[in-house]
Amino acid sequence: MGAGILAGFTVRLHPSKAQKTCAPYPRSMTQLTRNDFLKLSGLAAAMTALSACQPLFGDSGPSGAVMREAQVLGSPLSGSPDEDWVLMCTLHRISFGPTPNEVERAREIGIENYIDEQLNPERVEETDLPTDILNSLTLLGMNPQELFELEMRGRIIGELTANALLRCAYSKRQLNELMVDFWTNHFNIHAAGNPEGVLKVRDDLEVIRPNALGNFGDLLHASATSPAMLTYLDNASNTKNGPNENYARELLELHTMGVDGGYTQLDVEEVARAFTGWSVVGPRRRLFADGTPGDFVFQANLHDEGEKLVLGKTITSSGIEEGQAIIDLLVDHPSTAEYISTKLVRRFVADEPPRSLITRAAETFTNTSGDIPQVMSTILHSDEFKASLGQKVKRPLEIFVSALRLTNASIQFPNRSLAPHLTFMGQPLYRWETPDGYPDTADAWLGTSGTLSRWNYVLALAFNTMPGVEINWEALVEDTTTHEEIIDQLGYRFIGQTLPEEARQIVLDFAGQIDEEFLLPGIGALILSSPYFQMR
Amino acid sequence: MKPNLSRKDFLSLAGSSAAAWTVSPLLSENYLPRLTFFSPPGQEPQGDVLVVVFQRGGMDALNAVIPHFEEEYYRKRSSLAIAEPNSGDDNSGIDLDGQFGLHPSLRPLKDLWDAQSLAIVHAVGSPDPTHSHFDAMDFMERGTPGEKSISTGWLARHLQTVAWENESPFRAVGIGNMLQSSLRGPVSATSMRSIAEFHLGGSTDSAELLKFQAAVAEMYGQGSMLDPVANLTLDATGTLTQVIDANYTPNGGAEYPQSQFGQALLQVAQLIKAEVGLEVAAVDIGGWDTHATQGALDGAMPDLLSDFANSMAAFYADLGDLTKRVIVVSMSEFGRRLEENASGGTDHGHGGVMFVMGNNVNGGKVYGNWPGLAPENLYGPGDLQITTDFRDVLGEIVQTRLKNDKLSEVFPGYTDYKNLGILKT
Repeated sequence: MGAGILAGFTVRLHPSKAQKTCAPYPRSMTQLTRNDFLKLSGLAAAMTALSACQPLFGDSGPSGAVMREAQVLGSPLSGSPDEDWVLMCTLHRISFGPTPNEVERAREIGIENYIDEQLNPERVEETDLPTDILNSLTLLGMNPQELFELEMRGRIIGELTANALLRCAYSKRQLNELMVDFWTNHFNIHAAGNPEGVLKVRDDLEVIRPNALGNFGDLLHASATSPAMLTYLDNASNTKNGPNENYARELLELHTMGVDGGYTQLDVEEVARAFTGWSVVGPRRRLFADGTPGDFVFQANLHDEGEKLVLGKTITSSGIEEGQAIIDLLVDHPSTAEYISTKLVRRFVADEPPRSLITRAAETFTNTSGDIPQVMSTILHSDEFKASLGQKVKRPLEIFVSALRLTNASIQFPNRSLAPHLTFMGQPLYRWETPDGYPDTADAWLGTSGTLSRWNYVLALAFNTMPGVEINWEALVEDTTTHEEIIDQLGYRFIGQTLPEEARQIVLDFAGQIDEEFLLPGIGALILSSPYFQMR
Repeated sequence: MKPNLSRKDFLSLAGSSAAAWTVSPLLSENYLPRLTFFSPPGQEPQGDVLVVVFQRGGMDALNAVIPHFEEEYYRKRSSLAIAEPNSGDDNSGIDLDGQFGLHPSLRPLKDLWDAQSLAIVHAVGSPDPTHSHFDAMDFMERGTPGEKSISTGWLARHLQTVAWENESPFRAVGIGNMLQSSLRGPVSATSMRSIAEFHLGGSTDSAELLKFQAAVAEMYGQGSMLDPVANLTLDATGTLTQVIDANYTPNGGAEYPQSQFGQALLQVAQLIKAEVGLEVAAVDIGGWDTHATQGALDGAMPDLLSDFANSMAAFYADLGDLTKRVIVVSMSEFGRRLEENASGGTDHGHGGVMFVMGNNVNGGKVYGNWPGLAPENLYGPGDLQITTDFRDVLGEIVQTRLKNDKLSEVFPGYTDYKNLGILKT
């Protein structure tokens, strides 16, 4: 089933039907205004402690919203309809759903240039982040010792989740946010797994985010000294007196070479020996090093001094440099180039990643010593990528954020009704227990439980039944009079094209049956529940 | 009185018409066994209901079912070993047969053992040498150790090859957000977090919602690959609201733990009693990857054992007489290293332990050949050997209790079966 789940998918976002009906991007579609962003940032509240009764953002919330003037977007007729389809589908693939501004920008510079711009996030100005709200997430600025001393542990991960969701929703560096999500899962840490889980905050801010579109070697070195990782995978208590293999195994199996990458159980044991003494100063007795709690520490006295043989190479006794040498060895290993490329292609192209593209991506990885933007460039500019458009099933986080972005939902703060839906859909952030991260492929997500929770989320969102979350449907369909116009406008907005004729007729019939009061949310929910919105 | 769905109603639920949501009030509760709504006459499922429990993370078999006669066990586990059974000491092992003992946190299972409703298989597992969780779990759930080209699960293949038909959306159920790999394949299986949450929309059960539901059904009737799961979802939610009593009270004074596992077994018990056509259910209990601070008598692993035992015992008590047609089997992807590490934990090992529970079990016995714990008898980096293939246990269940002879299709490539005689025929 895994192999074929998408292979025979016949309702892909196909250009043929869209060609004739490809509507201009709705003229009336407003930009997400700064105030909308601030409202939406009530997301933060959903994640923060229940006891946080004081809104992070004050009275100028929803009531103070001032919508910017509606803006006329560029005409789609500047390119052929096929080009527009490729552009829209590409945007849906490399973002959490494109806003009107992003569509406009991509049309202005062309989609290939837009990809390059997104691969160099420093070129994209962050004008839309709700910085006031982000700045108010004060726990994220705490050092490890302060984090340990906090009693409300749930609040810490709550703020980290809020930070991530706000950035997914508002960052203009959308591809960077997708990469953050990718690496967060690749180097998965279960933040509620142990007392040191709060250190995931530092891991996110200092390991994952700065390197998401950087160099893989830098990322791996940073991860290997990340206190959250060292405690999550027990290396903090890996000593010469009784080596702990947990980190060593996952370093080889999940972080670099892949389970079939060619290492042996003996390699695992040797790597474990090399990483003895890589530890964390911690609040618990088993982490007994002196120093500032929460800091990485190399404990030379607990390090196994003997020579190690890893992947056929002798690692001479050199203390902390042994582990560093092994990381360099792993970054340069062809299995690592292959494994990382396979995972990236699986995430960004297809559940069954095309062999040809993996090979080219791995070549780029090797030739550039693990330069992530260049590997991504190989992937996103490829024919295989274009051939896959519209055929990748969204993960819950992508459903969650794209529905909010594309409906321009405003969210009051504080807000507690949104977050449970991400949990119902099965993807609460930083809470996947095992080190492999949330699954990448559709067969894991598209069971009955996943399907039902997706429908229930968009129903609650569309009908404004989540307290503090509101969609202004009238604003989304300004200048429309007929059911057809409404359907086309929402369809184009949500899925990047007007619905194919058969599906359009289903929505039209439905629109003719339901109470006028429910017309707009009903149509919206139906499109958001449809197979088309499950794809990107 | 709970209304029953007629077969016609049931079938039309899968369709796209809102009118299909009529439920015939004329059928009395005992008019027909509900099962027959899902199977043509004479083709009803045979055999027991099977509940498969997966202990994810690699359960430390040596501290769950303790080989207290082994000096090596005490030599290699200076901080983690459980004391030899001593009837006056609640912190010692609970003796089973003079050789093996239950961890004290498994005490709730002792009554089942004494009643011969619980069998244990030791030094059992998947023969592939992998120490990777993910490979080992896949191999076990697919029933194909070492073979990565087969992507269907063993339970799915069992359902595919039985001699009867069963159209129930609850024929195969996995409790949780994601369907277990053992259930993935050509036969539709329903995944659900809980019965209470398993319905479309909030509490607003309006005419408009039914129209919406009908339109959604049409949207998933256009030939997409997402159609089958969407239609199964609509089927399952529709059926469930008609046949399940919202206020469930367990029988036999059973008290399920509030844990995920306990509540998952409660959902399974409810489905079994509702006679919605359940044949196999998959349930998970995670957290067994105890590399550090595993705990001997208190801590992470004892807590898990306690949850496991209390939940299993509650399930058994709740089912009462139904245990005559229900089999529960547990497994984990591997056991753990004999020698404890310096973190107060144990690393990935090899041989493990399986529990088989039910009225049809020849219980009160530890099955398998004990390979010994002397250094020369250990496997790989110092693990308990596997002397019984997990497919021997599952194969016997499939053949004897699930009435399916097609073992060559359920476990392709495996022929070397040993019949352990764990089950009554």
